[in-house]
Amino acid sequence: MSALANNRGLRASHVCFSYGSRQIIDNICLELKPGTLTALVGPNGAGKSTLIHLLQGRLQKDSGHVECSSSITVMPQRASIDWTFPITVNEMVRLGGGHREHQPEVQMAKQLLMRVGMGKLAQRRLSDLSGGQQQRVLLARALMQQTGVLLLDEPCSAIDPPTREHLLSVMREQADAGQTLLVSSHDWGTALDSYDKVIVLDNKLLAYGTPSEVREKLSDMTCMMGSNCCG
Amino acid sequence: MDEAQIWWLTPLILSLLIGVICPATGSLLITQRRILLANLMAHSVLPGLVIALAIGIDPTFGGLISGLLGALVAERLNQRFKGREESSMNTVLAGFTALGVLLVPLLQTRVDLETILFGDLLAANSSDLIRTLIATSVLILLLLTRYQDLVFLGVDPDGAIAAKRPVTQIRFVAIVITALVIISAITAVGIILVIALLCAPVLMHIERSTSLRQLILKSAATGLALTSGGMTLSIAVDLPPGPVIGSLCMITLILKRI
Repeated sequence: MSALANNRGLRASHVCFSYGSRQIIDNICLELKPGTLTALVGPNGAGKSTLIHLLQGRLQKDSGHVECSSSITVMPQRASIDWTFPITVNEMVRLGGGHREHQPEVQMAKQLLMRVGMGKLAQRRLSDLSGGQQQRVLLARALMQQTGVLLLDEPCSAIDPPTREHLLSVMREQADAGQTLLVSSHDWGTALDSYDKVIVLDNKLLAYGTPSEVREKLSDMTCMMGSNCCG
Repeated sequence: MDEAQIWWLTPLILSLLIGVICPATGSLLITQRRILLANLMAHSVLPGLVIALAIGIDPTFGGLISGLLGALVAERLNQRFKGREESSMNTVLAGFTALGVLLVPLLQTRVDLETILFGDLLAANSSDLIRTLIATSVLILLLLTRYQDLVFLGVDPDGAIAAKRPVTQIRFVAIVITALVIISAITAVGIILVIALLCAPVLMHIERSTSLRQLILKSAATGLALTSGGMTLSIAVDLPPGPVIGSLCMITLILKRI
């Protein structure tokens, strides 16, 4: 994976973004090192998806800089996909590649589907899958792009704990292989131990560090986040 | 055979072609959730057609410009009324139709409004055929060169933009093709009924198809059967083909769902 060899992570400095009079992202500075799996947590409306779009470059920052040595892939939220579109699992994953009939990409799509546990359902119609299976397909499509940085927007929403564990284990393998991953999530408590670093966001950066550091720093955050955390 | 004996040949070929390209275009429009825009454009071509006929130029140009103008006005209003797009688009649809109807007496044009609204397949001529062949060629070219982008745009529009696919260009070409197909279909089914051929065959297959390609082929085959069946029936019972095809689309869709 040449993209991973050149990956020097991602650095954001003083990023600000407002919508109308509301400040959505307020002076965020962060660094995602290569080969790390980072959780981006915060309450609904904290600006997690907005920050992901700003880092990717889809949204224009009001101010600040984002430096990234490699391309960035985003695994979108469920709501942005038309799940009723007539497409098979295999074709959906191959959309992540550039050349539709290119043999290495055909093979790679097959391998990725096996990795996310969807190998046997490659020819199934996307709309016939469960929510968890659809999330696995989206992850496989994101991995197909082989970029140095992968930003995942709530990949574990509305899925059962075993599927969550499986997706996290695939993400961990990617991080171990050198990819930089940022995962927006509603995880809290011990569930954060699956990640190397945790960013707590509520329009501004509340905490950044290892899971234990963040828990210590924001021990009262559980009340703010509510008790409906996965894991 | 002399010309009098083969009068039916042009309408027949035209109806078959329209039966194929309307559902093929409809497959793209429905999967990209732009069918309301297509209906709006079908009505928006009317003022342009009337003006073109009044000043004696090819109605294709007038209809194309007017249809694109309708789409442009709707897109502008949609940006202003986010979340209320259906309302603004239906207003533009009604406004352009009303404008077209008003232009007939205002410009004192010799236009048979009923023919434009509901079609008159038996009056088809070689110009209609050429127009339809051009629309077919442009559609095939888009499908051959941009198939994967069309799939990406349909299943994940935001992802297609993020992946730097030529989304704006593809949407523009799709709008132009829609306008061309609608203008081509006027003789066959008219601007009011063309929406039935754009939608019904696609709805019959969209839940079972496993690819956009399969959906286009199945819908086109069904559209072909519906137009040829509708035309045969209209000749047999001596009724206008457009309304017969429109009714057949709805009845077949209902029967298929039952």
